[in-house]
Amino acid sequence: MKPMDSQLSTLNSEPKEYRRIAVCGGIYNNYLALEAALEDIRRREVEAVFCLGDMGAFGPHPDRIFPLLDEGKVLAIQGNYDQSLAIGLDNCHCGYTDPRDNYFAQLSYEYTFRKTSHENKAWLGKLPTHRRVKLGQYRVLMCHGSPRRINEFLWESTSPNCLLEKFCRDFETDILLCTHTGIKWHRALNGCGHIINVGTIGRPENDGQVHVWYTLLTAGDDLQVEFIPVHYDHKTLAQEMEQEDLPLEFIETIRTGWWTTCLEILPAKERARGKY
Amino acid sequence: MTIPTAPLLELSTLWIQVTGTWCNLTCTHCLNSSGPHNPWLKSLDTDMVIRSIKEGAELGIKEIYYTGGEPFLHKDILLLTAHALEVAPTTILTNGTLITDQVADHLAELAQNSPYSLEIRISIDDVDPEKNDRIRGQGAFSKAIRALQVLHSRGLLPIVTATEILRDELPEGSGMYEQFRDLILSLGITKPRMKIMPVFSIGRMEGEGGPLLTPEMLDGFDYSLLQCSETRVVAEGGVYACPILAGLPQARLSEKSLKEAFKPCDLYHTACVTCYETGMTCKN
Ligand code: SF4
Repeated sequence: MKPMDSQLSTLNSEPKEYRRIAVCGGIYNNYLALEAALEDIRRREVEAVFCLGDMGAFGPHPDRIFPLLDEGKVLAIQGNYDQSLAIGLDNCHCGYTDPRDNYFAQLSYEYTFRKTSHENKAWLGKLPTHRRVKLGQYRVLMCHGSPRRINEFLWESTSPNCLLEKFCRDFETDILLCTHTGIKWHRALNGCGHIINVGTIGRPENDGQVHVWYTLLTAGDDLQVEFIPVHYDHKTLAQEMEQEDLPLEFIETIRTGWWTTCLEILPAKERARGKY
Repeated sequence: MTIPTAPLLELSTLWIQVTGTWCNLTCTHCLNSSGPHNPWLKSLDTDMVIRSIKEGAELGIKEIYYTGGEPFLHKDILLLTAHALEVAPTTILTNGTLITDQVADHLAELAQNSPYSLEIRISIDDVDPEKNDRIRGQGAFSKAIRALQVLHSRGLLPIVTATEILRDELPEGSGMYEQFRDLILSLGITKPRMKIMPVFSIGRMEGEGGPLLTPEMLDGFDYSLLQCSETRVVAEGGVYACPILAGLPQARLSEKSLKEAFKPCDLYHTACVTCYETGMTCKN
């Protein structure tokens, strides 16, 4: 199968080359974690900061994200959430199939839709869906879900090597970066590439720890991939979520690090590791 | 009338009908009329299944599903599960009645040793044993429940799959999803997983005629909503368009390879109308 031309046409024609970059995903309105991540990134001598989309969802005060992205010179791409907000769709198109997942996703989408300004929605609408850069000798392709579908879930336990190799071949890349699932992972393919799910800034990753993660990539003889934990004022975030009347289930996740919603989409292995 | 077709946009999901239509139950609503006697589609031999998995891997598939009939009737099902899990995440659709402690031990070991997820989907159609067994057969409920428990106790997280066949008999105001969730929780299963499927007018539910899709209905339609745009099924006789039509001559796209089945399929059956209307896929 060929990659979709409409998507490839949005890719940069002349990829810029870097040596060291920071990449984050899924901000989910968590402006306090984004602030802490950007501060951490500033100390690490990176040449550029990227975000793989889904600025909204889950947390409070969506508009607080945008000045931070601007000040931090974050180069972003669109997630499914950003697309939905920008074109005024009635749901987030996260790709859930279970009624319980969809119920909670809808609460969070309606809140975020209501509270995101027109200007910020328009800004989301102008973001590209993919980006290409070079990292040393490596070609890098950034996408939100997968290179073929913005809301495809690439979980570690459901992304077989044969599919990932095909992505690297079809989309002509050595490194594929994605987010969307909320849980980070990295796999070096046999001689032909790396897939890195960079994790999310917005929500802890269902392991009982309250911190969140971003990814640092450094080119050298080998690719260096570091997942960086970000500790932030999660208690204040939880309080603000309470004040905004967001669901108690969401607040519990911020306070405990265990997912309570959007669980049904998890494959068996990832689901088994969580509390619920 | 012109029969509309759906393109294969990508081959992502590989279904393998390992036991054809051979099953130990005879459910009244079975979509391929499976049963214990003279199955109209035979089981696949082990080598054939392994070859299909290999070809799927070369084509870059994302996941594998084993179905039938009842997959646990296949003499090599555990070996085949091991093969599938070497290549991709794997799901087995079963009625659960043949999952003994020993089988569950083996499945747990296979799941443990693979980097990919193993999903076991167990069919139950009503939370009431009597109603369930009326359509699935005497004792089907208790055996399926036992399968849920033995799998759960080994850390596998079975997915209960229910069709809407008895939905009309639900008491006023009670939701099917919630009823099943409560049932699973009451068994001490703390991570209840569910999938609800519509009933298709096919197999034992095949009616006389029924509406069909027309080219006009598909004008501007997003084909990615149909599972036949991303799936193919290996069953006796070749490669078919989708799990619902597997084995039917008009849904056969190739007699040999998966690669040869990379072509549009006819949306010729009334069952296609159900997919079109519900956007339902047989995937988890
Ligand atoms: S039954 Fe559904 S999935 Fe199968 S060919 Fe018809 S529309 Fe496609």
